[in-house]
Amino acid sequence: MDRRTLLKGMVGAGSLALTNRLAAPALAQGAAARTLRFVPQANLANFDPIWGTQYVVRNASALVWDTLYGVDDKLEPQRQMVEAEDVSSDGLTWTFRLRTGLKFHDGEPVRAKDVVASLARWSARDPMGLMIKGIEQELTAVDDRTVKWVLKKPYPKMLLALGKNNSPMAFVMPERIAQTDPFKQISEYVGSGPMRFLKSEWVPGAKSVFEKFADYVPRQERGSWLAGGKQMLVDRIEWIVMPDPATASAALQNGEIDWWENPISDLIPVLRKNRNIMVDIADPLGNIGSFRMNHLYPPFNDARARRAVLAAMSQEDYMRALVGDDDSLWKPLPGFFTPGTPLYTEEGGEILKGPRNIDGAKKLLAESGYSGEPITCLVAQDQPITKAQGDVTADLLKRLGMNVDFNAIDWGTVGARRAQKTPPGQGGWHMFHTWHAGADCISPAPYTAIRANGDKAWFGWPDIPPVEAEVTAWFEAKTLDEEKAAIRRLNKAALDSVVFAPTGFFLTYQAWRKNVTGVTKGPLPVFWGVTKSA
Amino acid sequence: MNTQATTSPLPSVAVAPDLPDLLPGFERPTGLLGVLRRHPMLALGGALLVLMVLIAVLAPYLATVDPTALAPARRTRAPSVEHWFGTDMLGRDIYSRVVYGARVSLTVGFSVAILASGVGLAVGLFSGFVRWADAIIMRVMDGLMAIPPILLAVALMALTRGSVGNVVVAITIAEIPRVSRLVRGVVLTLRDQTYVDAAVAAGTRAPMIIVRHILPNTLAPMTVQATYICASAMIVEAILSFIGAGTPPTIPSWGNIMAEGRSLWQVKPFIVFFPAAFLSVTVLAVNLLGDGLRDALDPRMAREF
Amino acid sequence: MFGYMVRRVVATIPVMAVVALFVFSLLYIAPGDPAAVIAGDQASPADVERIRQSLGLDQPFAVRFGQWVWLILHGDLGTSIFTNLPVTTMIAQRLEPTVSLMIITLCFAVSVGVPIGVLAAWKAGTWIDRVVMAFAVFGFSVPVFVVAYLLAFVFALELEWLPVQGYTPLAQGVWPWLANLILPAIALGCVYIALIARITRAAMLEVLQQDYIRTARAKGIGPRGILFLHALKNASVPIVTVVGIGIALLIGGAVVTESVFAIPGLGRLTVDAILRRDYPVIQGVVLLFSCVYVLVNLVIDLLYTVLDPRIRY
Repeated sequence: MDRRTLLKGMVGAGSLALTNRLAAPALAQGAAARTLRFVPQANLANFDPIWGTQYVVRNASALVWDTLYGVDDKLEPQRQMVEAEDVSSDGLTWTFRLRTGLKFHDGEPVRAKDVVASLARWSARDPMGLMIKGIEQELTAVDDRTVKWVLKKPYPKMLLALGKNNSPMAFVMPERIAQTDPFKQISEYVGSGPMRFLKSEWVPGAKSVFEKFADYVPRQERGSWLAGGKQMLVDRIEWIVMPDPATASAALQNGEIDWWENPISDLIPVLRKNRNIMVDIADPLGNIGSFRMNHLYPPFNDARARRAVLAAMSQEDYMRALVGDDDSLWKPLPGFFTPGTPLYTEEGGEILKGPRNIDGAKKLLAESGYSGEPITCLVAQDQPITKAQGDVTADLLKRLGMNVDFNAIDWGTVGARRAQKTPPGQGGWHMFHTWHAGADCISPAPYTAIRANGDKAWFGWPDIPPVEAEVTAWFEAKTLDEEKAAIRRLNKAALDSVVFAPTGFFLTYQAWRKNVTGVTKGPLPVFWGVTKSA
Repeated sequence: MNTQATTSPLPSVAVAPDLPDLLPGFERPTGLLGVLRRHPMLALGGALLVLMVLIAVLAPYLATVDPTALAPARRTRAPSVEHWFGTDMLGRDIYSRVVYGARVSLTVGFSVAILASGVGLAVGLFSGFVRWADAIIMRVMDGLMAIPPILLAVALMALTRGSVGNVVVAITIAEIPRVSRLVRGVVLTLRDQTYVDAAVAAGTRAPMIIVRHILPNTLAPMTVQATYICASAMIVEAILSFIGAGTPPTIPSWGNIMAEGRSLWQVKPFIVFFPAAFLSVTVLAVNLLGDGLRDALDPRMAREF
Repeated sequence: MFGYMVRRVVATIPVMAVVALFVFSLLYIAPGDPAAVIAGDQASPADVERIRQSLGLDQPFAVRFGQWVWLILHGDLGTSIFTNLPVTTMIAQRLEPTVSLMIITLCFAVSVGVPIGVLAAWKAGTWIDRVVMAFAVFGFSVPVFVVAYLLAFVFALELEWLPVQGYTPLAQGVWPWLANLILPAIALGCVYIALIARITRAAMLEVLQQDYIRTARAKGIGPRGILFLHALKNASVPIVTVVGIGIALLIGGAVVTESVFAIPGLGRLTVDAILRRDYPVIQGVVLLFSCVYVLVNLVIDLLYTVLDPRIRY
């Protein structure tokens, strides 16, 4: 007899007969079966998928808006809102024809001009979109169901750009909303997707509620990630923010929530033991942990200092701090691309392999001219991934003999401070920690973090021409072999100059109750096809 | 039994013999030991507190390993011979961290108590004596008291970097109003006493009056109040760390250790248990000390146990 | 009497002014730039400057303070930087859970704290007194979140008597509403009970020594009559005072309790806002809490005259 039943028996079941199992909220049985209670990875504050690139925003937006194309579980773009497309023989003119019956949540039909406005807003912020915009001749609505995009140069990855799952996704919004400045947030949530967002029930920081949109017309094909028919089998989805993983774990065990997006790995064993809970890998593409050094200021403006850190760091330490004892949950990553994908390579990764060489690293650091100045490290405490990595980094830098200025702040502040280009003593920074979904690191296309074009690059502003040359080479490659060759050279160049420091590849779990079916592995939680029995 | 000397100036007046002792062997114990025996709470609280202070001071000798040494390969191990209290999520030895954590918690507690008492005393005295300033100062103090202490501390911490010093300042600011009210209350009562009037009439200057008459009367309640402030400060520090607005995570403090272990309390309860136990015992000790002092110093409230 | 009430109410205005000034200055000197946060990762310095101007962040202190006070007096607490919702809406959404928690905790703490304080005073010097006071001191000494975790573990997870988290609005039924609040109220109430019990005991002891109590005993009135009819009423002033002061304690503890039990209340809102530097929300909520505290103490001051007719103003 397990401890729980023993305890219950001891206390005396008689007096408890009336009060047993009070855990379920007072909803009618039928209604409860049609509401899915989900615990997301973070709070849903702002909710503009073009303006804000956080994963939680993207995940919620995928419910509320639809896209022209969507990638399936092989990451191939498939038609979604588009019925048929046509590309001219010279590759310069793309014509898209929308499906019939597409409606917005306010009842208005989805028209080509809405698509045009949405694409214009999206392409102002998205890296691939910016590339397309750079070679754009015109983007027009030919009629209510046809969109034409004329380019000055061919762009073979157009469908991937429109259907990719990486933020920002090319969501289709009503024209008047899509005309909002791309650098300002939208304030209305009129969507084109299978669920509508109930703003009246939204409690920011606590709860977000989505309700099935009755007039959504899903495609006929089977749903597969962002492709195929988005059949909603529940009427209502509630996203409940739980700041405390222990509480979420207890709530899942008690049946007060149905699906937990990212349980921490230490709690997995107790969830596994529970007969009512299923546990599985959330995303086979996993995640890549990273920390970025500021290339603008000493000591990390010198590649030797960056290489010193790489030579001293132990990816095993980072990964164990993140995922614990389960070896199946992590892999060392002597490179930048996701293991298990076609472009994965370890070229140039020797510096991260083998036994760690602290003395050699110290020498390298001295050569770079490091003279004891404090290293400003930004570590977000409210994200378990960055917190754990930050602690390991502090220890690493100390062992290297560096002086650590540990800034324990929250994720929002990290977001604000990492954008500052001022010197570290004056509000700037030397290092910050983050991570990327593996789906974002399969190729240079969505991979903002690998770019090294100085001012235009991601925070840290690496300026490494050889890396950029290989990125261009990849975009212009015509065969997979050419792509792979370019990526191999890219990997080596990026490691030699340390665009950023990959801390390893790790997988995370998701957990859900047995009465929920249809939960799949994927780069984002996929809600269509998920049902819940009583 | 005493015997009177037989030589007495008055002849033949018999003097009654001394009565036998009613309570044989009863001697009112004197000295510190005596005080402690009469006030067991004081003794217990004091002893526990002294123990904690010793642990804090002797931390480098009591700890088994470096409290900040990471070993992710050995994370979340249960208590064992090697790691008496187990290891945390980064493989650090919890026993050593708890032992060092005593330093932070006691430093915060004592510093806040001393600072808040000192500043509160000054403000209370000033406010009590200088009438035109009284209204303004008391309104300001009321205003400060109206803001919930935790929120005040979190807000102040959000303005600055996390550090032990900033935590002390933040909690102190929240505790000053109470001390100043207490002192001001005493000053106001005493200000109207005749003996103070007499002193003023005699030409005694204000500082002399303060030292001679006011301070002795404030000392007792202030000391008791200071112990409560110390206890409260230690709990507030733990709560601040719990929320993420307390001492920086690079320094082991009981609040930090608990905050980091909170997600795992169901599977690895030892991470939260040991610092919680130490914190509770310390706060309990300080509270007992305060209660004991109050009973010892204010006989009206005392009850002999 | 009425004059006193008016004077007391007017006296709260400078206090609120001090609070307002303090809260506003606190955030005025805060580092971190909300404009940069709003602008987002990809914005250029020109965009950030545009946003600063639109938020009015480049005006001098006095102007900004004046504008802020003016708006508040019109019931406009501003708009949250992070959610673009009006602060009043955000507060209104979260009001019910926190108020419910406070009320339940208050009732629980008073209904447990006062009787045990009375008991301890009545049996002063005996082991009952010692045990009760020991419990009270324990209530003070264990941090709120430890108690919360213990309660959640034993009663919600292991025994499954009560839900482990969340909040059910009163509109969905009294028992579900209560069920979600029982454990948090106990956790939060521990400290409050300790405080109330101590003060009750001390005040009762003082009163029980009075001559009129002796007279009552001589008249043959039983213990219950003495304790509750005579003594408690006279001891009520300090008890009620402590209840008022304790509200501030409660609010602080509510932050932690709401975190552990995932209650969508004001405490969590404030801490989240502070850590995110969401100025309008911070200002609005701290102002609100202080207002509540001042009001409660005002009510208590006025209650004194009811409780103790000797207190006349």
